[in-house]
Amino acid sequence: MKRIEVKLALPVVAPLLDVIKELADSLRKNLAAPIALTDLGDEFHDTWVDELLNTQNEEVRMLLALFDDEFFREGVVAFDENNAEIIVRACAAVRLRLREKFLKPLGDELLESGDVDMMSLDERLRKAFMCYLFLATIQELIIQHLDESILGS
Amino acid sequence: MTILSGQPQISPAPRAETELAVQGVWRVVVLNDPVNLMSYVVMVFKKVFGFDESTARQKMLEVHEQGRSIVWSGLREKAEAYVFTLHQWHLTAVLEPDHEAH
Repeated sequence: MKRIEVKLALPVVAPLLDVIKELADSLRKNLAAPIALTDLGDEFHDTWVDELLNTQNEEVRMLLALFDDEFFREGVVAFDENNAEIIVRACAAVRLRLREKFLKPLGDELLESGDVDMMSLDERLRKAFMCYLFLATIQELIIQHLDESILGS
Repeated sequence: MTILSGQPQISPAPRAETELAVQGVWRVVVLNDPVNLMSYVVMVFKKVFGFDESTARQKMLEVHEQGRSIVWSGLREKAEAYVFTLHQWHLTAVLEPDHEAH
């Protein structure tokens, strides 16, 4: 089984986990990407939302579980074919929520280009944007190294 | 696409074609968002629709540059299933009737 281990700088990543936890709470009852279909029946719509929320919550739970006691001892997180798909999706959900809750002041164009002057941001916005970049880095690592695992599952 | 005509049919049309004629053809349209990575969207298209790298990339660029891309069309029921799956991947997708196919 292909597996990647990533050594992270604890002093940098640990403060970002508080942001992820806060967003995990707000994702519990809200879809990261709300359903945009207008002609689904109410019952059908509610069933979809319930199912999507269940999946989303499980993904975010697995993402947070990466940062366990061992992570705080060793600073290492590991990805393999068992968690790659779930983690890459959890990162997408949390990043979408980051935009909704914190990053709107930056504007979508800047967010898409990533060309942001970090030093010009206040502390709360800077932390949120660092979290946004951190989760994107995890996604890129997984897609680069475990793309086959995800596509094959 | 096959449309039911007034002509009597000698043999029954295949089920899918009959349903397409009755329900119409529906498009699955993926909408742009400023958050999801290009590489992520390409991977999702490959995974969900079985696109090759080049098709997935072309569709992703349509989403990115034009704000939307039609990624599938066919029966409503299957189109809904694709929209649901795309939402599981946190992409925003909508359904729209394919009037050109009617």
